[in-house]
Amino acid sequence: MKILVPVKRVPDPATTIRVLPDGSGIATDNVKWVINPFDEIAIEEALRIKEKQGGEVVLVAVGQQTWQEQLRTGLAMGADRAILVRSEAALDTLAIARLLAKIAEEQKPDIIILGKQAIDDDSNQVGQMLAEMLGWPQATFASKVEFQDRKCTVVREVDGGLETVAFDLPAIVTTDLRLNEPRYASLPGIMKARKKELKEIPADSLGVDLTPKLKIKKLDPPPKRQAGRKVASVEELVQVLHNEAKVI
Amino acid sequence: MVDFELTEEQRMIRETVEGFAREEIRPAARPADESGVVPAQLVEKIWQLGLVTSAIPEQFGGGGDERSALTGAVVAEELGYGDASIAVHALAPRLFAYPILEMGSDAQRSLYLKQFASERFVPATAALMEPRFDFDLTELSTRARRDGSAYILNGSKCFVPLADSAKSLLVYAATDSSAGFKGVDAFIVSPDASGVSIGEREKNMGFKPLCTCAVTLNDVRVDRAARLGGDGEINFSRLMSEARVAISALGVGMARAAFEYARDYARERRAFGVPIATKQAVAFMLADMAIEIDAARLLVWEAAWRLDRGEDSLKESYLAKNYVAASVLKVADNAVQVLGGHGYIREHPVEMWLRNARGLAALDGIATV
Repeated sequence: MKILVPVKRVPDPATTIRVLPDGSGIATDNVKWVINPFDEIAIEEALRIKEKQGGEVVLVAVGQQTWQEQLRTGLAMGADRAILVRSEAALDTLAIARLLAKIAEEQKPDIIILGKQAIDDDSNQVGQMLAEMLGWPQATFASKVEFQDRKCTVVREVDGGLETVAFDLPAIVTTDLRLNEPRYASLPGIMKARKKELKEIPADSLGVDLTPKLKIKKLDPPPKRQAGRKVASVEELVQVLHNEAKVI
Repeated sequence: MVDFELTEEQRMIRETVEGFAREEIRPAARPADESGVVPAQLVEKIWQLGLVTSAIPEQFGGGGDERSALTGAVVAEELGYGDASIAVHALAPRLFAYPILEMGSDAQRSLYLKQFASERFVPATAALMEPRFDFDLTELSTRARRDGSAYILNGSKCFVPLADSAKSLLVYAATDSSAGFKGVDAFIVSPDASGVSIGEREKNMGFKPLCTCAVTLNDVRVDRAARLGGDGEINFSRLMSEARVAISALGVGMARAAFEYARDYARERRAFGVPIATKQAVAFMLADMAIEIDAARLLVWEAAWRLDRGEDSLKESYLAKNYVAASVLKVADNAVQVLGGHGYIREHPVEMWLRNARGLAALDGIATV
């Protein structure tokens, strides 16, 4: 099975994010960059499928040259090769989906697995847009993926329960947190990653309209948490919860 | 040309092992210290990183990657940053595998290296330290006497990590007690061999999860083919230099763990209305700790760099080990001090790190990973 895994580079979730004073973005100095954790789950799932039934795992990212680092990490985990669609400008989700659709048409994967969303902007759109553009079935928020011949069954995490859906390949699956626990790259894996193919394609060579439909106007940091206060009695606590916090 | 830049692979290895140390090893450190056991599941998970198998040649099923003391130092620092005891436990098989990899005869390499190309952890170790107040690497009291086509081993060893579970043992013994380093040889010994007795588990101040035992050799007869390198010579001094670089790097990681913990605590903890990190008495202490760690790392890297160039690193590795031993103790002690009363109680890890630091500073034996 040929599996395409789109990968995004995001700030390490353990990093403290600071919003720039003018609200135009985040301060990127001293930020450690990692593979979007949901995409890491997608890579792991792709590798497990490959280990079970053979095939190829191809990574694709849309971004700047530095994104190579995350693709190399994915190759070190065990992916076979990677494609970096080079774009110096930041693109919106629609443009990314269009580029990925183009790559998918070229690469003809049996399945595309990607994170349900990136932890930086939490858009949760690319997988769905991609499915629409390709006219493929989609199963979002997957917590279990199984195959039988050219049929795929996915258990989805929905509000208040689980939903099981079945569909034919090719298809799009977006991963939820509980699908698997991604492996760490091994030393031999890291050493071998350098010899694997990492191809760069300029984004503007793909004949896709990249004009942004969406503009980020301003970022605001979350409000600082106020200090707590002590109450003297249960009566006062109930009063405060009722009158001030209005939770009871 | 002097160059402090790590390669892309080394940076990736450092990031991977650092992440692993932070997420998997550190949370297991305190429970392991309390129970005295390194969880087997964690050991397997570390093994999966390929820290031992990476350097085993492809023909024996390993990764076939070029072995580098500097890459090894980067890995050891990150593991030590996670937890020193768990790190030594996980790396102990190197004590056996690496000398064979580097100095073993063809027969020894093909016989033993294959064992390490396993999916599962392969416990193996080496016996070097001896229970003598005047222990001296160049004058081992464990002796190997030639007897026809065999050697007879006699002597006592201590602080042998994983001695209770190791399937293979490398025993260092003097074949010529007047020849210093050159008179030391190593012998591949089965722990089940007649005359080998593994003592009770030692009760140590630090490194509590790490099982170490005394090993006594009483007229242990091994074939001359069990001598490391066969009939060739081994470079004992180089093996010791490599071991010192690795253990020193481990110590740098231990010191870094203690420093970062104390630094973060000092930023949070307020006294007289301000974080204590802004008080000079604490800030100077933290600055000194940071200087110690960077200085120690540079000494370690220089020693490793020389080894990777195939040069003699006896002096450099010895200086590094000595400097690290002193600085890790100082940094860990300062970390306890920065935390004040909190540092003394077991809720924080710094008292554990201080005990481990004492172990690293005191021993050249566990110290020979």
